Amino acid sequence: MVLLESEQFLTELTSLFQKRQLSGSVFITLKKYDGRTKPIPRKSSVEGFEPSDNKCLLRANDGKKKISTVVSSKEVNKFQMAYSNLLRVNMDGLKKRDKKSKSKKSKAVQ
Amino acid sequence: MPQYQTWEEFSRAAEKLCLTDPMKARVVLKYRHSDGSLCIKVTDDLVCLVYRTDQDVKKIEKFHSQLMRLMVAKESRSVAMETD
Repeated sequence: MVLLESEQFLTELTSLFQKRQLSGSVFITLKKYDGRTKPIPRKSSVEGFEPSDNKCLLRANDGKKKISTVVSSKEVNKFQMAYSNLLRVNMDGLKKRDKKSKSKKSKAVQ
Repeated sequence: MPQYQTWEEFSRAAEKLCLTDPMKARVVLKYRHSDGSLCIKVTDDLVCLVYRTDQDVKKIEKFHSQLMRLMVAKESRSVAMETD
């Protein structure tokens, strides 16, 4: 699992989407993260570990390649804009919305 | 493993799950371009909520960003969009 900087994560994520266009899936996982870098042992007390409250962990993989990044509250604004765009641009193989609202008739194309 | 047919119900239940125990809950997105399908799952390893679609990219992407903000926000109480 490769831990990347946010920008690089976005670049790699784009290439994952592009690689998997013809076949395969792209998985993205999002989880709150408290900054731990070592496993917390069951019995002994934890030394010098202060859980932080403002981070989340974002992972992505396409079945073969795995990447991840940590996003904190400082970067979230910038990251989120870029990330949302990325998702919108890459997840474009879906159908358009089927139904318009029933109250108005959609313009008939003649 | 409840599969939700309506986005409304799913997003309500999913947000509730994330707020109940933020450290346990995780969100998984699966996108298949070849099938044109998108699946979002929210689970805390006890309860698992799933929503599949072939259309609602915008909704799911917005929701995903909303959850990300929730996780990164410092206050651990339930957060509506707080004014900064």
